[in-house]
Amino acid sequence: MNSFPEKTFIVARHEFTKTIKRKEFLFMTFFFPLLFAGISILPAMLSGMNPAEDQKVGYIDLTESFEFPKSIQNEGLSIGSSETKTSVIEFVMYREISDAKQALQAGQISSYLVIPEDFLKTGTIELYSPEKEASMSNFELSSELSDIVITSLLEGKVDESTLNRVRNPVNIKFYNIGKSGESSERSIADIFASFGLPILTAFLLLFSIFSSSGFLLRGVAEEKENRIIEILLSSVTPTEILTGKILGLGAVGLLQIGIWLAAVVFGSGYALPVKIEPYTLLFALIYFVLGFLFFASMMAGIGAVTGSLQESQQVAGIFTFAAALPLIFMQLILTNPGSPFSVFLSLFPLTSPIAMLTRMGVTAVPISQILVSIFILLISVYVVILLSGRLFRTYLLMYGKRPKVKEIWKNIRTESR
Amino acid sequence: MHAVEFENVSKSFSEKNILENISFSVRQGEIFGLLGPNGAGKTTLIRLLLDIIRPDSGEIRVFGDFLSPAAKNRIGYLPEERGLYKKTRLLDMLVYLAQLKGIPENQARLNAESLLKSLELDQYKNKKVEELSKGMQQKIQFISAIIHEPELLILDEPFSGLDPVNTKGVMVRIMGLRAAGKTIILSTHMMEQAQTLCDRILMLNKGRRVLYGPVDEIRKEHGKNSLIVEFAEKGNLNAIREISGIKKIIEHGKSVELFPEEGISVQLLLEELVRKANLTRFEKTFPSLNEIFIETLESVSNE
Repeated sequence: MNSFPEKTFIVARHEFTKTIKRKEFLFMTFFFPLLFAGISILPAMLSGMNPAEDQKVGYIDLTESFEFPKSIQNEGLSIGSSETKTSVIEFVMYREISDAKQALQAGQISSYLVIPEDFLKTGTIELYSPEKEASMSNFELSSELSDIVITSLLEGKVDESTLNRVRNPVNIKFYNIGKSGESSERSIADIFASFGLPILTAFLLLFSIFSSSGFLLRGVAEEKENRIIEILLSSVTPTEILTGKILGLGAVGLLQIGIWLAAVVFGSGYALPVKIEPYTLLFALIYFVLGFLFFASMMAGIGAVTGSLQESQQVAGIFTFAAALPLIFMQLILTNPGSPFSVFLSLFPLTSPIAMLTRMGVTAVPISQILVSIFILLISVYVVILLSGRLFRTYLLMYGKRPKVKEIWKNIRTESR
Repeated sequence: MHAVEFENVSKSFSEKNILENISFSVRQGEIFGLLGPNGAGKTTLIRLLLDIIRPDSGEIRVFGDFLSPAAKNRIGYLPEERGLYKKTRLLDMLVYLAQLKGIPENQARLNAESLLKSLELDQYKNKKVEELSKGMQQKIQFISAIIHEPELLILDEPFSGLDPVNTKGVMVRIMGLRAAGKTIILSTHMMEQAQTLCDRILMLNKGRRVLYGPVDEIRKEHGKNSLIVEFAEKGNLNAIREISGIKKIIEHGKSVELFPEEGISVQLLLEELVRKANLTRFEKTFPSLNEIFIETLESVSNE
């Protein structure tokens, strides 16, 4: 086997360059980050772009007990941008409701408030605005109003600090307790990094594993359908073809993941501050490599046994569906990561890469479970490579009817090469 | 040293015997015909030779040894089921296939360019295979089999789907390869081409060896020792019937086949015939490979 590594490398390089030129690969790789950007940045941009407009609000205070400031600066909610959008609400006092109404109709003010005489009893304030103009600004106004009401009611009666506490009763901070008892503050960014990122990584892994093992399936099925497989087999052994393909497409998958991660990190610089934990990355990498090997060799076996591209994709679909189970049960894993079902999904080799990374995102998974899951996956990878190698050698040159499961099983056991 | 040796090789698939106890050898530098009807086991034999599948029993040696990966590089193969990457650029595909045969990339590129040029296909080198005509694809397939300059070339039905002009072209190329000292195994059921090209043949039927040896000897062995004659006037036939020493006469339209008795020399018979009739054709028959093929298959199936 002196030429073994060389020919394997030639196959790997061929598969790599062929695949990265495929339209499907380019589409998947570059469209996906755009999609991600669309999902994460767009809403933030939209909310940032739609701050409350400056407005003039009239008021009639029938209780004659409230003090309205001339204007307030309103800091708009802004996720998408580091700049804070501010809008100004200007208050104009009217003595008579009819005056306010006239001003509204003349367009001098955008709305007016009436504070009824029995306000203290009912807590009701009436807001009048032109038809079809109720918008975001009204909601903002209401939060500003409670502030004004609280201040006016309590000013002078309680001290400044009590007043502030009443205006802003609680301010929750999140802390994590580490293994050795040290505590650390969690910001929203931290929560996203430990919660969102593993889930995002899990998604990326799943997509990459599916797409590159899908390319492998396609490649094998096409070569079989094209009959070029016979020429290949006259030059290289089935093992060399299988190994070369897995290496080449694995490299494609890593490249894809790299591009996506770069896009996420780069893109999230705008949208959300993200820190990537080396710990998470390490396990993501381990699960990617093992998950890819598992699926890729399975797809190679399926491609070898089935007779045409279409047929192979139908058979592969069954396994792809099984692998997508964690996505279907994502809600369950997220809300109850320690349940027996979640644990099962994170140990079962078809679903473990995604399920485990998701669990790791929401809870501290015992290291023993992680190791067991990796061990099971390793054993499964070994078994699947062995089986697929045999299927590859036995069925690559058999055309026509797809063999029955019983025959395949018999051939796997008796295959002598 | 023989290029290929099979010793008592058997192979079965799901309890069906595809090849039974096959022995033969291919000499270096000869064109060896692998003949037989469809399903005789020719393709299985070739796959065994190429180590794509392994025999159940028996020994196969190529270039005097068990087939090593290095020896695989010395073999070129044109499979019966033609296959090419449809969406890959012609040149890239040929370079890849040559690299898999152990040719360095640069050399592979040079070989591909010069072969494409010699077959007047160099203007298509950046096209995809699917954009080429059937005839061109056949030529590309042939190039892919010889791009690494193999010492042993295995051609499985190289004439199928070719028009007479291209058939002739492939025949000329095969003879050219033999002249260059290459060994060629030609699997076909085109008997006319096999008879013209092959030095020796192996004929298979239902996985068994039914004929094996040099083409000339096989044809001699199967000679019926008859003569074909034609003459100018119809009436001559009656005169011929009077000649002694002919045990049987069969009329084939214009010509007549004569079967001389044992011990009658062809020379004497010819003199007699010239005296009695106005001869326009006199020919000692020599069965064609095609006739032997059909005759052998019939005799086997009657057993």
